[in-house]
Amino acid sequence: MRKRKRRKRHSQSEVELNLAAMLDLAFQLLAFFILTFRPAPIEGQISLRLPLPQATAVVEDGQQAGEDYNDTNPIQGLNTLTISVIADPKTGNISSLGIGESQVPSLAALDGRLKEVFSDAGNPFDQVILQVSDSCRYDELMKVIDVCTHQRLPDGRKLSKLSFVGLPDG
Amino acid sequence: MAARFSQDLKAEPNLTPILDLVFQLITFFLLVINFKSAEMDLSLKLPVIGSARPVETHGQRGLLVLNIDNAGDLKIYGRPIKNIEGYIRNEAQASMLQNRMTPADLEAGEELPTTIVIRADRTTPFRMINRVIRACQDNGFRNFALKAVNKET
Repeated sequence: MRKRKRRKRHSQSEVELNLAAMLDLAFQLLAFFILTFRPAPIEGQISLRLPLPQATAVVEDGQQAGEDYNDTNPIQGLNTLTISVIADPKTGNISSLGIGESQVPSLAALDGRLKEVFSDAGNPFDQVILQVSDSCRYDELMKVIDVCTHQRLPDGRKLSKLSFVGLPDG
Repeated sequence: MAARFSQDLKAEPNLTPILDLVFQLITFFLLVINFKSAEMDLSLKLPVIGSARPVETHGQRGLLVLNIDNAGDLKIYGRPIKNIEGYIRNEAQASMLQNRMTPADLEAGEELPTTIVIRADRTTPFRMINRVIRACQDNGFRNFALKAVNKET
């Protein structure tokens, strides 16, 4: 009987947590998150592998063909296609484009020519050197890079090996 | 008597539902918060390229984000870097330490696994970007990601 009375007393005394302090803390945390919240912009990217540019002719000054017996790859550099991007020094917009020695009138024409080159199974090229005017704007250059990275090599891989060489203006 | 009665009567609002609500909001912000955005300079206007794909960071062991504004200044976490080559050299050394590589490994043809993420303003001249790229290449970085947006914002 005594035990029952004790239990009744315990059940009547309720524990009341003071939630106001916790609410203050929670509001402070909430305020911090609201003030520091910045949704990240949705950005894309073009992934590239950029080896150091290498000369397309690797003959040193005064060296004769076949003279260097240690050179096991005499055509090193010959698998590189050169694309020239010349920009207007004032505006930075592309003024002329070229593949090797020949000129191409537009980006669409460049795309067509590159498709022709890379669709040929016998073509030796697996990387591209972009010779770019120093004043060329980044967004103009990105259009050319976009065209290049769309190309597929004869083995089906996407062209991703590019190198950049700066061309002084003027 | 009436005054005493009103003093005894305490209004105690039930704070539990509002606390639940606030905790739910905090949980939401904790889940969507992106501390990585702090390393991006959101004032830059990236070039618009339709084929630019969203970032895929799966399998990439490290990213180094370099913001280049239209004057060609390199900014890291909003701080301009004056000695670009020195900064990139330090980052390369940190990457080598992290990946247990030595300069001899780089000379032997190995490369750093870190990907350089270049966020440059669309009007930046190539000269400025090439300087940064060349500094990265000279220090053993070969993997690059050039940032762009799919459409005009």
